[in-house]
Amino acid sequence: MPPKQSNPKDPLISDDDEVLQAVILSDSFNKRFRPLTRRKPRCLLPICNAPLLDWTLESLALAGVQEIFVICRSYATQVKAALSKSKWSAPNSGIKITPIMTAKETFSPGDAMRDIYTRGLLTSDFVLVYGDLVSNIRIDDVVRVHKERRKVNKDAIMTMVVKEAGIGHRTRSRGESSVFVLDPETSECLHYEPVMGYPRKSVARIPREVVAAHPRIEIRNDLIDCQIDVCSVEVPSLFTDNFDYGDIRRDFVHGILTSDLLMKNIHCYIAKEGYAARVQDTRSYDSVSKDILSRWTFPMVPDNNHPADHAYEHIRGNKYIPKDNSVVLARTCKIGPKSLIGPASNCSEDTTITSSVIGANCVIGPRSTISNAYIFDNTVIGADCVIDRSIVGSNVQVKDGSRIERGCLVGDGVVVGPGAVLTPFERLMKKDDEGEDAAGGDNEEEEEEEDSDEEDLEEYQKNVKSILGKDSNALVWPRGPPEDEDEEDEENVENFTNQRFMRLGDDLSDLDSDSSADSSTDNSDSDSDSDTESVTSVATSTSASHVPTTPTIAVPSSAAVAEYEFRVEAKQSLERAFAEGHSVDNAAVELKTLRMASNVPLSRVREAVVGAIVERIKIGGEVAEQRKEIATVISRWGELINKIGGVDAVETITALQFHCAGSDRLPLFGQILAALYQEDIVEEEDIRAWHALPASKGAEVVPGLDADNIKKCWAVGERMIQQFDEQESSEEEDGGETDEGEGTTEGEGTTEEGTTEDESEEDSD
Amino acid sequence: MDLGVNAEGNSAIREFIAVVLAGFGNELQPLTSDNGDEPCPKALIPVANTPVIDYTLSWLEKSGVKDVLLICPATHRPALSHHIHSSTSTTLVIDVVPFDESPDSSIGPCTLLRHFASRITNDFILLPCDFIPPPTLSLSSILDKFRTETVSDGAIATTCWFELNRLADAGKDKTSPPEEWGSAVSPATIVYHEPSGTLLHIDTPDDVDQDGEDLKLKMSLLNLYPRTVLASRYQDSHVYVCKHSVIEALQQKEHFDSFKEDFLPWLCKVQYSSSKRKKYERVLNPITNSPGQSIALRHSTLASASNIALKSKSAHYAREATISPSDSDTEETPLASLRVGAVIHPYSAGFAVRVNTLPAFLEVNRHFLSQTSYSLPTDPANRSLIDQKAQISADSMVAASTKVEERVSIKKSVIGKHCVISRMARIVGCVILDHCVIAEGAKLDGSILGKGTKVGPKAELIRCVTQSGYEVAAGESFKNEKLEVSDWAATSASETDDNDEDGETEGTETTEGDEDEDEDEDN
Repeated sequence: MPPKQSNPKDPLISDDDEVLQAVILSDSFNKRFRPLTRRKPRCLLPICNAPLLDWTLESLALAGVQEIFVICRSYATQVKAALSKSKWSAPNSGIKITPIMTAKETFSPGDAMRDIYTRGLLTSDFVLVYGDLVSNIRIDDVVRVHKERRKVNKDAIMTMVVKEAGIGHRTRSRGESSVFVLDPETSECLHYEPVMGYPRKSVARIPREVVAAHPRIEIRNDLIDCQIDVCSVEVPSLFTDNFDYGDIRRDFVHGILTSDLLMKNIHCYIAKEGYAARVQDTRSYDSVSKDILSRWTFPMVPDNNHPADHAYEHIRGNKYIPKDNSVVLARTCKIGPKSLIGPASNCSEDTTITSSVIGANCVIGPRSTISNAYIFDNTVIGADCVIDRSIVGSNVQVKDGSRIERGCLVGDGVVVGPGAVLTPFERLMKKDDEGEDAAGGDNEEEEEEEDSDEEDLEEYQKNVKSILGKDSNALVWPRGPPEDEDEEDEENVENFTNQRFMRLGDDLSDLDSDSSADSSTDNSDSDSDSDTESVTSVATSTSASHVPTTPTIAVPSSAAVAEYEFRVEAKQSLERAFAEGHSVDNAAVELKTLRMASNVPLSRVREAVVGAIVERIKIGGEVAEQRKEIATVISRWGELINKIGGVDAVETITALQFHCAGSDRLPLFGQILAALYQEDIVEEEDIRAWHALPASKGAEVVPGLDADNIKKCWAVGERMIQQFDEQESSEEEDGGETDEGEGTTEGEGTTEEGTTEDESEEDSD
Repeated sequence: MDLGVNAEGNSAIREFIAVVLAGFGNELQPLTSDNGDEPCPKALIPVANTPVIDYTLSWLEKSGVKDVLLICPATHRPALSHHIHSSTSTTLVIDVVPFDESPDSSIGPCTLLRHFASRITNDFILLPCDFIPPPTLSLSSILDKFRTETVSDGAIATTCWFELNRLADAGKDKTSPPEEWGSAVSPATIVYHEPSGTLLHIDTPDDVDQDGEDLKLKMSLLNLYPRTVLASRYQDSHVYVCKHSVIEALQQKEHFDSFKEDFLPWLCKVQYSSSKRKKYERVLNPITNSPGQSIALRHSTLASASNIALKSKSAHYAREATISPSDSDTEETPLASLRVGAVIHPYSAGFAVRVNTLPAFLEVNRHFLSQTSYSLPTDPANRSLIDQKAQISADSMVAASTKVEERVSIKKSVIGKHCVISRMARIVGCVILDHCVIAEGAKLDGSILGKGTKVGPKAELIRCVTQSGYEVAAGESFKNEKLEVSDWAATSASETDDNDEDGETEGTETTEGDEDEDEDEDN
């Protein structure tokens, strides 16, 4: 862009010479990240291992902003300190950053704008963003368009940047979205309709006078509001004139558009390219993290322009490992796609990390599984832990054998475990002891007030269902709507139910089912309004279920679908074979084809075949009849188990055991096993090998299956082995082929078995 | 010979039946008022000297539709039958069915369709008799959209909307018709999805009554179609292509009378309202698989119920995979969409109009004049009736058997058949229907003369409409008036009533929709 315009006549053109100013509202004015934000402001929370504020500064720098005012309220000293350390504060960075300390009484963005006005900082059109923005949109283009428009229309006071997306886009907050009514030619925003997740909005109202004045308007419910606003200088003064404006969207935009007196226009800039999103809540924290890891924010990605100046190496599958070789990765640890490991972290043996971000100097203990979780710096995870869809703060210690389920937020410095089990959506904070309050400095005084009183919290601990473990120093944050205000203001975006739409890992299944249940009868004129619940709930379940729940990594979601598809098809194919009396060979050929089509592991085919055969056996009748029935079925079809393309009798027994444990044919397990033995499908040593497996004893809890049933089966097997022992003298036939088929060690076979079972259970949910 | 065989052979596999509604045309009064005992059906009012229904019929014919069910008031039947049977060229099989009603009673198209439901055995096209389609908009294109969408995603109907002339609303110049003639058509406000051409919402007068401040849209609509267009300058052509199942739904909604104001807005809602959908899905989208096909489906390994869930699930996965900030709306409707399609015809692509108000009638005549140049009769016998010294401008039309005497001046006008225009008459911007007699020195400006109007010598009419058979006495002068027989001779009390009625409707009804309903009521 040329710095000097050739046409000095036009006074407006000279605006280009002015520095482009930006205002960052570093405070979020809500508490959605608590307790993570108890000791530091949200804008300093790390996302992909760099503080949010640095991403925002980076975004603005990319857009050519030259002067930035950062409005600090809570933890202002921390923000100020962070700013002074930022690389953009360096004298040669080309950007001038000025922190503005605003009063504690600033409770809304509107208050901040009024403060800006009184200070008179701004001289020309400026960019207004929040301190939790991640964007690579060319904001300078927006500013140019805005200035062009201002030349023609002095009343065009603001341009909102919105991004085209689908309605079910993960970055589009369901708790706080909006319908924009636009003039497609001028992209003037004619009407703004805020939409909340709860109370559910059933009807959007568009003023008829807008319709009358514009013969053709567009209604957009597919835009992500990036909350990047290019404002004219008079915007702060408008806030001052209308002292009740709080929120920029709900109050200011709505107020300007509906005002008969102001006659101001607000425009939208629909960004076709680029990425911009705010980390408004824990759910968007998750989606923005994933967007960064999936490189939508390019050129700001972990391996390039990382705001905290970490150097990462980008590995196929969007995995990021520090370049400086400071990370210790055990040979057996598995890193799945969309993962970022911070510098100097340590992943021990058999850890599994999927779609997660691990901070710097973290230690992940052996055999721990971390999926879709965000772990901040200096945190230690013990052995055998499971962390799923949660955010774990910095300096946290999660001791051995702990489980942190979806949606949990663990505050800084918390210690849980060993053996802690957190229920979903639990929020933990560190007990305040050792006079930390005093150390916290004066900024936090007000925070402390707002925190529920310690006694209340202590009181609350008695009702907590989570097991925190003996070494824990944590307090559980109260959940549910605050009791003291029963009649919560439902209109407020921060109402409890609506918050759930913004919560990490919440699938909202109960909310959606509620609302679809109340869809009333249809009176042609007054319609029941919960209509598309069906549609929306589908969208929700998508967004919730897209998070792969399998602990095994490198299983792309499409594989899960293929497996599910395979199971359905295999079942049907076998049923048809049974019903129409196909030969075993034909049935086997059909299964092989299916297996190739779906590309599923052999074990899956075996499970399907064993399951189908077991289900084929009719229950009932006398003991002898039952035995005969089993014998007929097994002699007719048992052969099929070994004809599917590989022989692994131990696995067959395990499959049989797991199937029986979840089926009403549990009592038949022994007889079926005996029948298989009779048909030489399993050999004595196979039974022994199976019996020795840890999984067969029910050592690994397989969700959805009764451990008792598994143990029963195991007991049956044990009896059988005893029988074998007794008739030791009997002939020893060799099961050579079986040995060959197994090849690999049995231990490996079973762990795979365990995980696959696990996976299938969760799939079917 | 061939034609007959074809008709016979095709009858079994006819795809569509066209249902043409020919009403009284209350909004066109006094042109459509009875002349004594002789009715003036709206369908036979000539536009540029061609009866208006011929435009519809030839449009149908070009699209290959054969069967036509023409529903008209019983009193109009002889005239219509005569007209239809006198034109030999048509290959249409037109069945004129009468329906007993008077201009005052109110029978809407829904009622009519319910009444004649037994006659409609397959998918049908519901048309008005007064739609004049532009040459660029063929019925086949609408039918093709219907065919594609019903098969591909289970749409149930296709409608056609055309953009109004924006200038008509804006510029009120001298030539525009006076307000006494009744308001020009006001367009409907509709919401539609542009890429798929789906009609989503129609703002009805009832909605306006309920909430005059805001236009309410279901969030369920906006969730299903996140990007829609709200337009308020399109008019409904009243051409609806519907699946036969729509009749079934209509049978269930007995209180609906008007198709476009009651039934169609309701039908639009079915596609996104889950409760309506649940209730009417069976009716609107009956399973039509033949037994053979269902058996085949049962044998398919993909036909289980769980598979539907699976499909949508995999669609989700697919969507997840491609999800991105630049992802535009992904539509996935595994079930029949039950959508109502909309063909939107922009004004720039050709002039379309429904001849159902006097201003529209004048406008369409003028439009045809602007398209033609000097269309006088060409055969010598008719030509000889026109005096050499008559001044007829190039943008005028004079039909056969009309006598034009010397020093007559005709500009921008349509003159019907069998008229007599005497010396020195001056006619500017008029539409003169058949059998009018205009005496010496009469001055006509911007007027419409009904069939058989007699204008006395030196009479002056400025922007007037006359009823069929009206006589303007010598030297009389009118301006901006509707001249009706009752004013002049008070022939019968009933007609006076009619006129009153007419005045009322003019005053109260403003939307084109109202008018439309009237028109169909009349049947």
